[in-house]
Amino acid sequence: MKIDREEARRIAGLARLELDDAALVRMAGEMTKILTYIDQLREVDVEGFEEHSDSTATPFREDVTRHSLDQELVERNAPAWSDGFFVVPKVIGGE
Amino acid sequence: MSDLLELPWHEARTQASPREYLDACLAAIEARDPQLHAFLHVNREAAGEGRPIAIKDNIVTTDMPTTCASRILGDFVSPFDATVIARLRANGASIVGKTNLDEFAMGSSTEHSAFGPTRNPWDPNCVAGGSSGGSAAAVAARMVPAALGSETGGSVRQPAALCGVVGVKPTYGRVSRWGLVAFASGLDQIGIVTKTVRESAEVLGVIAGHDEMDSTSSAHPVDDYTADLDTGVRGLRFGVVREAVEMLAGEVRENFDAAIATLRGAGAIVEEVSVPTIGYAIAVYYIVANAEASANLSRFDGIRYGRRSPEARTLEEVYADSRGEGFGAEVKRRIMLGTFALSSGYYDAYYGRAQRVRARMRHDFAQAFAKFDLLITPTTPEPAFPIGAKTDDPLSMYLSDIFTAPANLIGVPAIAVPSGFSRSGLPLSLQITAPHFAERAMFQAAAGYERETGYWKAVTGLLGY
Repeated sequence: MKIDREEARRIAGLARLELDDAALVRMAGEMTKILTYIDQLREVDVEGFEEHSDSTATPFREDVTRHSLDQELVERNAPAWSDGFFVVPKVIGGE
Repeated sequence: MSDLLELPWHEARTQASPREYLDACLAAIEARDPQLHAFLHVNREAAGEGRPIAIKDNIVTTDMPTTCASRILGDFVSPFDATVIARLRANGASIVGKTNLDEFAMGSSTEHSAFGPTRNPWDPNCVAGGSSGGSAAAVAARMVPAALGSETGGSVRQPAALCGVVGVKPTYGRVSRWGLVAFASGLDQIGIVTKTVRESAEVLGVIAGHDEMDSTSSAHPVDDYTADLDTGVRGLRFGVVREAVEMLAGEVRENFDAAIATLRGAGAIVEEVSVPTIGYAIAVYYIVANAEASANLSRFDGIRYGRRSPEARTLEEVYADSRGEGFGAEVKRRIMLGTFALSSGYYDAYYGRAQRVRARMRHDFAQAFAKFDLLITPTTPEPAFPIGAKTDDPLSMYLSDIFTAPANLIGVPAIAVPSGFSRSGLPLSLQITAPHFAERAMFQAAAGYERETGYWKAVTGLLGY
C-alpha cells in the first residue's frame, strides 16, 4: 500500500495532528513501508474466521449514581479553567 | 546494602527491617540510576512495611506525577490512584518511584521516551528494551525488588528478557486496568518484573482480581500462584512452536536448544507443535493496537489536562497544535497508521482482515493447548541491541516483539525467564506461555526451570556491585 503526501495530509486531518510538509513526506514514506509489510496478511486463509470471534462479552454493571472527582482536583490539571468550566476558544460566532 | 538487595524478598525481609530495606533501595537508586535513567520520579518520602516497588509511569499515582514519558501530559498529577496502586498500598508496599518508558508505552527500546532512553545494566551502550525498560532496568540493577509495567505486545517480557530478569504478562482481564493510561484496550494488561519467579507470583497475588472500576477485569477466582513453585517440571508437557524455531539463528537458537535439554533433563515432556499463524503476529498487532490507540489517544486534546499549545487561536488549533507539539514521532506514526486502518474505504482491508487473522491465531493456539500444558519459544529473537541501532527503522524495531505479541493478541498469560547469556555477555530469555488463567502452571514451570538453571543469581558488573 502506497501512501503519498496528500493522503498523509488527509489522515493527519482526521487524527487532528498538525504536521508540516517535511513531516508529512517522512510520515508517508514510513507508513508505506510498514503497510507493505502488513499487506502479507492478504496471503492468510481466513475462510470461516470472522472479525468478531471473541466470545467473552463485557458485563454491564448496575446503573447507579456514584461520587466522581471533585472539581478542585480537576481544576488542578486543567490548562484553562473558570468558575467550574474548562475554557476553550470561542466556537460559535468567532472569527 | 548490596547483599540485601541480591536476596529474594522473602529472604531479605528476615534479615532487615522494612525501613532498612527501603533505605537500601533508595541508596541504590541514588548510586546507580544516574548512569541508567530507569526512574522519572523517585519518592524519597516513601514509607511502608512491605515490599518496595517501582511503577511504570503510565500507571497513575496521587503522590507523584504521571507523564507517560510524553510532553503532552505536562505536569499532570492524577486525582486518584490506579487500582493496582491502591491494592499494593493496602498490602503495605512502598511506592518508591515511577519508571521510564517509551512514550505512551509505544516502543521496544525506551528510546521513544521524551525524557531520554534507559540504559541496559549489562551494557550501558545497549537499550534496556521497552516499553517498560525503566522497570526492567530498575530490577536488573537491584534498585528495587519488584516493578510494575504494562503490556500491549510484549512491553514487560521483552525488556525483562533484554535485562536478564523475570517478566510476567497475566491473562487479559486478570489485573484491573483502572488507572493504567489506555493504549490498546483490547490488548493492554498490567505486568510484573522481578528477579525471581517466586517474587512475581507473590506480587500477582496482591494485584489480581475483579475490580468494579474495570468492567473487563475478570471474576475468575484468584489462585494461590505460589502453591506449585517447588513442584518442578516433571511430567509437564511443553510444546515447542516450530514456526518460531525456524526463525531463530546462531546463539539464540543454541540457547533455546539448551533450555529444551534442561527441561527434558528435569523430567518434562518436550515436543514440537505447529502454530502456523505465529509469524503474522506483528502485522496483526500493528493494525489492531494502532487502531485502538488512535481512538484512545484522542483524549489528549489540550482541553481537560496536560499541555495546551500557546500558539492555538481556534478550538481546531487547540486540538491539532497541542497534539502536534505534544506527541513524539513514534506516537504520531501509530496514531496515523491506526487512523488510516479505521478510515472509510480501508477498514475491511486492514482492520477487518487483521481481526480475522487474529481469530485464526486464537484457533491455532487453542489447538496447540489441547495437546500441551505450556508452549515455549525464546522471548526475543536477539539480545539487547545498541542504542540508536533501530530508531531510524520502525519496522525492524517492531519485529523485536515477534514472539511476545501473540500472547497479547489471544489474551493468554506468558512469562520471560532468564536462560543464560550471549557470547558478548548479554542476557537471553526463555518464554513460557500458558492457557487462559493457567498462571499457576505457568509459575510452576518457570520456577522449575529457574531452579535447574539459577541464572537470576548472576548480577551485572557495571556499577561495581
